[in-house]
Amino acid sequence: MTSHALPLPNSTEPRLAGDLAIWFFIMAELLAFAVFFAAYAFTRAAHVEEFNLAQQALNRNAGAINTLLLLTGSAFVVRAVQGALAGEARRAAPWMLAAIASGVTFLVVKMVEYSAAFDHGVSLSSSTFDMFYLSLTFFHFMHVILGLVILSVLWLGLRAGRYGPHNMNGLESGAAYWHMVDLLWLILFPLVYVIH
Amino acid sequence: MSGIFTKSMARNIFYGGTVFFFLLFLALTFDSHKEFPKRDNSQNLTPQVIAGKKIWETRNCIGCHTLLGEGAYFAPELGNVYPRRGPEFIKAWIQSQPTGTPGRRQMPQFHLSDEELDNIVAFLKYTSEINTANWPPNIEG
Amino acid sequence: MQYKSQAVAKPYFIAAIGLFIGQIVFGLIMGLQYVIGDFLFPEIPFNVARMVHTNLLIVWLLFGFMGAAYYMVPEESETELYSPKLAIALFWIFLTAGALTVLGYLFVPYATLAQMTGNDLLATMGREFLEQPLPTKLGIVVVALAFLFNITMTVLKGRKTAISTVLLLGLWGLAIFFLFSFYNPHNLVKDKYYWWWVVHLWVEGVWELILGALLAFVLIKVTGVDREVIEKWLYVIITLTLITGIIGTGHHYYWIGAPEYWQWWGSIFSALEPIPFFAMTVFAFNMVNRRRREHPNKAAVLWALGTGVMAFLGAGVWGFLHTLAPVNYYTHGSQITAAHGHMAFYGAYVMVVLCIISYAMPILRGRAANSNKAQVCEMWSFWLMTVAMVFITLFLTAAGILQVWLQRVSDTPMSFMATQDQVALFYWMREWAGVMFFVGLIVYVISFFIKGETKAATQ
Repeated sequence: MTSHALPLPNSTEPRLAGDLAIWFFIMAELLAFAVFFAAYAFTRAAHVEEFNLAQQALNRNAGAINTLLLLTGSAFVVRAVQGALAGEARRAAPWMLAAIASGVTFLVVKMVEYSAAFDHGVSLSSSTFDMFYLSLTFFHFMHVILGLVILSVLWLGLRAGRYGPHNMNGLESGAAYWHMVDLLWLILFPLVYVIH
Repeated sequence: MSGIFTKSMARNIFYGGTVFFFLLFLALTFDSHKEFPKRDNSQNLTPQVIAGKKIWETRNCIGCHTLLGEGAYFAPELGNVYPRRGPEFIKAWIQSQPTGTPGRRQMPQFHLSDEELDNIVAFLKYTSEINTANWPPNIEG
Repeated sequence: MQYKSQAVAKPYFIAAIGLFIGQIVFGLIMGLQYVIGDFLFPEIPFNVARMVHTNLLIVWLLFGFMGAAYYMVPEESETELYSPKLAIALFWIFLTAGALTVLGYLFVPYATLAQMTGNDLLATMGREFLEQPLPTKLGIVVVALAFLFNITMTVLKGRKTAISTVLLLGLWGLAIFFLFSFYNPHNLVKDKYYWWWVVHLWVEGVWELILGALLAFVLIKVTGVDREVIEKWLYVIITLTLITGIIGTGHHYYWIGAPEYWQWWGSIFSALEPIPFFAMTVFAFNMVNRRRREHPNKAAVLWALGTGVMAFLGAGVWGFLHTLAPVNYYTHGSQITAAHGHMAFYGAYVMVVLCIISYAMPILRGRAANSNKAQVCEMWSFWLMTVAMVFITLFLTAAGILQVWLQRVSDTPMSFMATQDQVALFYWMREWAGVMFFVGLIVYVISFFIKGETKAATQ
C-alpha cells in the first residue's frame, strides 16, 4: 500500500513504512499472540471434543460481522494514508473517522457478544476453552481500544494538516499498528470461532 | 532497505505500551478478586487464624521455611504441614525446639503459650485449605 | 567532574560497597549453616542471617541507585544538584536507619523488635524481604520522597534527557510500589498477591528502568556513541521489559490460591521476558563495538558488558528455565529458585551498580580513570566474582534438580530434611564458590587503594 510512499529524489531503494520502533513493538505483540495461539492449538488438540462442543456456543455471526468491520476499517485507513501522501491530508481525514467508526462498532458488537456470554456464566475460570476464548478475545479487544486511541490522534493530525508527503512517519506507524490489530483478528476469528 | 527510527516514536510507544499492559494487569487483578472467594478459604478466616498469622509473621518463620513455596529454602514447606503432621505433632515439635543435635539445623525456641500454639496451628490449617491448584506435588512439600 | 554537587555521590558509593561486604559475610554464614546446621546457633539463627543478607542487598543497591542518580542527574541536566545538603543529610539518615535496623535484627528477638516498633499498630513485618520494622519502612518512604524531590527539582530546572526521564520513572516507581509493603491483609492469598507488587514489580519492572538508564549513561560516556542512538534503543528495550514483565508477574500466581488462568498468562508473558535481557546484551556489545573513542577506563567497559551478559543469563535464561507453569509445579520454592535469584540479582543489579561506581569513582577522585595497575586489579575482581557467581548458580541448580527429583518427582518421595542431606555435597561446593566470591570482593576493595600513573580528569 505504501511501497511507493515518500518519493525521495535519487532513491529507488525499498523503504520500511512507519517507524522502526513501531515495528519492534508490532513484532513483540505478534510474538505474544503467536505463543498464545500456539498454547490454544496444543490445548485444543488435547481436548478436541470439549473444545468442539464449547465452540458451538460461540456467536459466529457476531464474529463474522466484526471481521468485516475490521477489514473495512483497515481499507479506510489505507485511503486516509494515501490521501495524506497525495498532499490532501485534510480531505483524507473523514476516511480516518470512518475507520474509527468501524472500530467503535466492533467494540459494540463485541460487548453485546460478551454480555450474552457472561449471562451464560462464561468467565476466565469457567472452563479451559472459556479461558482461552475470553483471554484471546479480550486481549485483542484491548488492542482495538489502543488502536482506536492511536487512530483518533492520527485523525486530529490529519485535520490539522500535520501529515503530508514529507511527513508520513507518524501516520504510517499508527496505520501499521491498526493493520496488525486487524491481522490478529483474521487469525483469531477462524482459530477460535470457526475451525473444528 | 531504509527506514526511519526516531526517539520520539520509541518514547511514545514506551509510554503507550506500559500504560496498556498495566491496565491489562489491573483488569486481570480485578477478575482475580472476583475469583478469590472461591479459592482462598477466606470463610475460615477466624480471629484465631488471624492471630496465628501474626505469630507466623512476628517469629519470622518465613526466614527459614516456605509457605506455599515462598520464603527461605532452609526448612520444610509448611503450607501443607497440617495434613502432613497433624495439629498435635506441630505443637509438640515447636515446643521441643531446639533439638540440639550436633551438626543439625536448629529451630529457635519461641516460648509460645498454649493459646498461641493453637493459633499458629489454626493458621496452618487455614493455609492448607487454600486451593493451590494441587501444589505441592506430594505431601512432602 | 563537571559539577561540584556530583561529589555527594561518593559517600553513597562507599556505603554501598561497605554494606555489600556485610551482605556477603552473612551469605557465607548462611551457606555454612546449610551444611553445619548448628553453626552460630543460637547467636545468629539462619532466619536472622537471611534477613540481614537480603535486607543489606536491597539497602546497598538502593545506596548505589541513589549515588548513581546524584552523579548522573547533574551531568544529564547540566546544572548543579537542587540541594547537595539535603543529599548529605539523607545519606546519614538512611545509613543510621539501616544500621539500627540490622542491629535490631541481630540483637533483639524478632518478636520483641516487632512489639517495640509498633507492629501492633500496623502489622507489616515478617514477610520475606519486607521484614523491616514499621519505623524503618516509614523512614524508607520519607528518604525516598525527599531524595526524589531533590532529583526531580534538579531535572526540572535543567536539560531533560531520555536517560534522566527513564531514571526518574524508575525511581518514582520504586517508591510508589514500595507502598504496597504497608498492605498486609489477613487473607493470605491477597497478602501474597500484593506482596509481589513490591517484589516483582520492583525487580522485573521499575528497577529495570533504573538499570537501563545507568547502563545507557555509562555507554554514552565510554563509547562516545551518539546520545540519540543510545537513547532510542533504551526506550525500545525498556518497552520490551515492561510489556513482558508486568503481566509476567503472573508467574508468581500459579500456586498461591490465585485463579488458574494465571498459569497461562504468567507462562506466556514470562516466557518472553528473556527477550529484553537479550536485547540489552546485544545493545551493550553493539555500542561498544561502534565506539568512537577509546576511554581510558577499561574496567567500567568490562562491567557494562558483564552486566549485559550476566543479566541475560541470570534473569533471562535461569528465569526461563523454571517459569513455565508445568515446570514450576515441580521447581517452585526449591534451590532452583535460589540459583536464579543469586545470578539474576548479581547480573542485573550488583553489576550495574559496580559499573557506575567503576566509571564515576575515579572521576570523583579527580582522575579520568584509575591507573593501569588498579584497573587490572579491578578486572581480576570482576572475573573472580563473576566466575564464582556462575559456580554458585550451577551448584545450586544441581542441588535444586536433585532436590526436585528426590522430594517431588520420585514415586517414593523423601522428606525435605532427608533430601537436604542428599544434596549436601553441592552445598559444600556452593560455599567454596562463595569463598571465592568473597576473595573477589576483597580484591575489588583493594583496587581502590592501588596507586600508580593516572591521567587527570578531562571532563
